[in-house]
Amino acid sequence: MATVIGQGIIIEGEVTSDEAVVVAGTVRGKLTVDGPLTIEAGAVVEADVGATSLSLGGSITGNVTATDRVDLLAGSRLVGDVKAGRVTIADGAVFKGSVDMDV
Amino acid sequence: MPAKRGTSSISDANVLGKSLRVRGRLSGEGDLRIEGEIEGEVRVSGALELCDGGSVSGNVAARSVMIEGSLTGDVAAEGAVLIRAGARVTGNMNGAEVSLEEGAAFTGRIEADFELPDGLAGGGAGPRGRRAR
Repeated sequence: MATVIGQGIIIEGEVTSDEAVVVAGTVRGKLTVDGPLTIEAGAVVEADVGATSLSLGGSITGNVTATDRVDLLAGSRLVGDVKAGRVTIADGAVFKGSVDMDV
Repeated sequence: MPAKRGTSSISDANVLGKSLRVRGRLSGEGDLRIEGEIEGEVRVSGALELCDGGSVSGNVAARSVMIEGSLTGDVAAEGAVLIRAGARVTGNMNGAEVSLEEGAAFTGRIEADFELPDGLAGGGAGPRGRRAR
């Protein structure tokens, strides 16, 4: 079973995983996922984030690197730089930082 | 009905999967199931399950604790601490009740600080005066 970091959970430190991770709680530190990462609405991530793909509904403060794609959904908030092959920013997403699409 | 290994009675809201590694501190509300590896302190308000294959190096606090995997650290539980067969545990267990299954490897102290008030008669503990001492 993949990882679900639920609403009430706070992790302070370094998190790594080789499979899918869903964050609905709080992660501070570093988050590295070799697989799809979903950060749900209401989740708070204050960390540098690495993943195959990122679907962001919550909030990230930190730099994001994805080997495949990054999707900033409506209502999400990202303060930090994005490095990914494909990036979408939905209407209603809040983003401050730079995008590097590795061209 | 024998309890099947790996099945769990707790909610699936918080699961730290097999390949997950955490170095740091984890705290929060609700139940937590750990199948991965944690180096650091774990503190949850609900039930904690450390599954077969999972490991924790650090102190653990929860309402109740069930261990099938490997733990190096102390346990503080308000309720029951259950160390299942196959578990490897090094540390001090502190809970209202602590049970240790045959086949578990355990090194440490067990402190079950239960209270038996005089008014307990009529509860589940049987008639007063028949308690083995």
